[in-house]
Amino acid sequence: MSTSTENIAANPKETGADEYYTFVEGVGNIPRDIYKLVKSDPLGDLPRYSIHIVVQHFMTFVTFLILAATGLTLHFASLWWAPLVMKLFGGPDTARFIHRIAAALMVMASVYHLITIIGGTLQKIMTKKFDINRTQIPLLKDAHDIVHDIKYFLGKEEQRPKMYKFMYKQKLHYVAILWGTFVLVAAGTSLLFPETMATIWPNPRFGQDLARLMHADEAIMAITVVVFWHWSNVHLVPGRFPLQWSFLTGKITREHQIEEHFLEYVHNLNEIPEEREYMKKILRENGYDTI
Amino acid sequence: MEFIKIITRKTLFLAIFLLFSFMTPGVDAADKENCLMCHKYRQIGRIDEKGRKRSYFVSENIYANTVHRNVPCRDCHTYIEKLPHDPVTQEVNCANECHIKPPFSNENFSHKKIIDVYNRSVHGPKEDDSPELKAAKPYCKYCHLNPIYTRVDEQQIAFEQTLSRCLNCHERKGVTQAYKHITHRLRAKTSRTPQEIVQLCAKNCHADLVLMKKLKVSRESMEAVKTYNESIHGKAVGLGSQTAADCVSCHATSSIHDIYKKDEPHATVHKSNLVKTCKQCHENVTERFAQIDVHSEIGPHEKPFLYTVNVALGFVFYGSVFSLIGLAMLESYGRRKDGIKMQIIHGTSWRGESKQKKSN
Repeated sequence: MSTSTENIAANPKETGADEYYTFVEGVGNIPRDIYKLVKSDPLGDLPRYSIHIVVQHFMTFVTFLILAATGLTLHFASLWWAPLVMKLFGGPDTARFIHRIAAALMVMASVYHLITIIGGTLQKIMTKKFDINRTQIPLLKDAHDIVHDIKYFLGKEEQRPKMYKFMYKQKLHYVAILWGTFVLVAAGTSLLFPETMATIWPNPRFGQDLARLMHADEAIMAITVVVFWHWSNVHLVPGRFPLQWSFLTGKITREHQIEEHFLEYVHNLNEIPEEREYMKKILRENGYDTI
Repeated sequence: MEFIKIITRKTLFLAIFLLFSFMTPGVDAADKENCLMCHKYRQIGRIDEKGRKRSYFVSENIYANTVHRNVPCRDCHTYIEKLPHDPVTQEVNCANECHIKPPFSNENFSHKKIIDVYNRSVHGPKEDDSPELKAAKPYCKYCHLNPIYTRVDEQQIAFEQTLSRCLNCHERKGVTQAYKHITHRLRAKTSRTPQEIVQLCAKNCHADLVLMKKLKVSRESMEAVKTYNESIHGKAVGLGSQTAADCVSCHATSSIHDIYKKDEPHATVHKSNLVKTCKQCHENVTERFAQIDVHSEIGPHEKPFLYTVNVALGFVFYGSVFSLIGLAMLESYGRRKDGIKMQIIHGTSWRGESKQKKSN
């Protein structure tokens, strides 16, 4: 795919997708595995998320836990622990109320997110700063990246692929969240307002059954993926342990940025003069040529 | 003289005291025929033909606190006609008339009316019942299982405030009783909790699938308890909700005993009555709302499409969860091999020796 390599450098012969060295204006040739040599602050070195995204993540994360705790208890009502957890929430009638309040807050966070994303994108288009490669939109390059990365994990590739601000894992997760939130909000609305939804569904009997099914199945899938995958990625995976502070600071560590978001790091180098100086220093210290 | 005077006075006091202490309030009103003359003895009883000990003791104090405290013995035990009476072989018939008159009415009190309602319902004995069905059908005492019929202890509605207004004209004793009698029934459809109702219907009966199969009930009835427990009503009640619907919320009117099969036109769950039934709790109920399945079972035969969706979602679920966990493990394996350590220490987590083959 030609678009994926277009923005990397003017001369693809010098700095192709799989090339070891990447030439950056004002810095020089940067080796792909320079991330093993840089110093990082665990709290983060480079900007990644705006304050809006941090607030949205916080709202989603708190409401998600409340929704999961109340919802799972109701879903698994027949299991031994369900009555005990239900007591903590003050009985099923209070728990239902808490679930609805949390759901309303989560919907608000989602709307807030859509406003910032759409507004931010429009602003970028107007100022001609929009770059599809730096968005969450899945591209063919991501499929190539997965294959490349798996080869690296198996030892069949020497370097990890050069990826943009959002790599294939994050795009997958983001699409899953978009779809999951849509399904859960739609199905949840149907369960909360059955009288109104009965007038909207073409076949209320089928519609309500589908809503019950989808709400439960989708929620359990979301909870399992968050607990077993998302938490592994941000807490347990080497280099991220015990936690990645990005969700509070909005910043990413330098070694993480270069390793998994190399092309975003190139973008950082172009934007931040101090980072260019730092990189030059590191290159010189390790015996590489700089400009 | 003075001494004798004191002695006589003291003896008199003692005599009066003893006299009062033996006068206990109790069943006098109900026991006009003095059945307690014999039945007050704790040891009264016999060993029956099957060798079981039977006690015929009637505790005056307990009886005086039951709902039947004003009913004379023979109003229920009508088969007793002489004293000493013959061995009792008959059960008490709750449809008997008893010789007490409720306030504001001149007819003798009886449970006959509700028993008529009950007998017309699906649970009432019918002529064409099979012997198994006849044996399985519940009778009064099956559900009214408070063994000595003591009063239900519960909160009365606005008791103090409202009753004080009644007392402007009425006497305390009568009106208090009448008021309690009515408000006790105003609070909810029944004085039982939803949990008790569900247990009453399910345990030993509707949840007993062997029995239900013997009685040849429909597939929906076979699954009724299971599908209810899986519905939002059932889950909420199972977890202790006092507001979610139990069995009789939908299957009976306020007379509770009128439960019918859903294809009978006077059933609360008959198509034509569903809107009214749902309206007891839900607002803005329409015909379309009433189409929603309450006892929903998503099986391969009942709802093949939804069943397929559910199974497909299951595959997606396990597929995605396991492949993502697999990816995270593979990722950690590969990166650790390339020299990453768990934590950032001294500014880097790439402190290890890479075991990957490198050309440069």
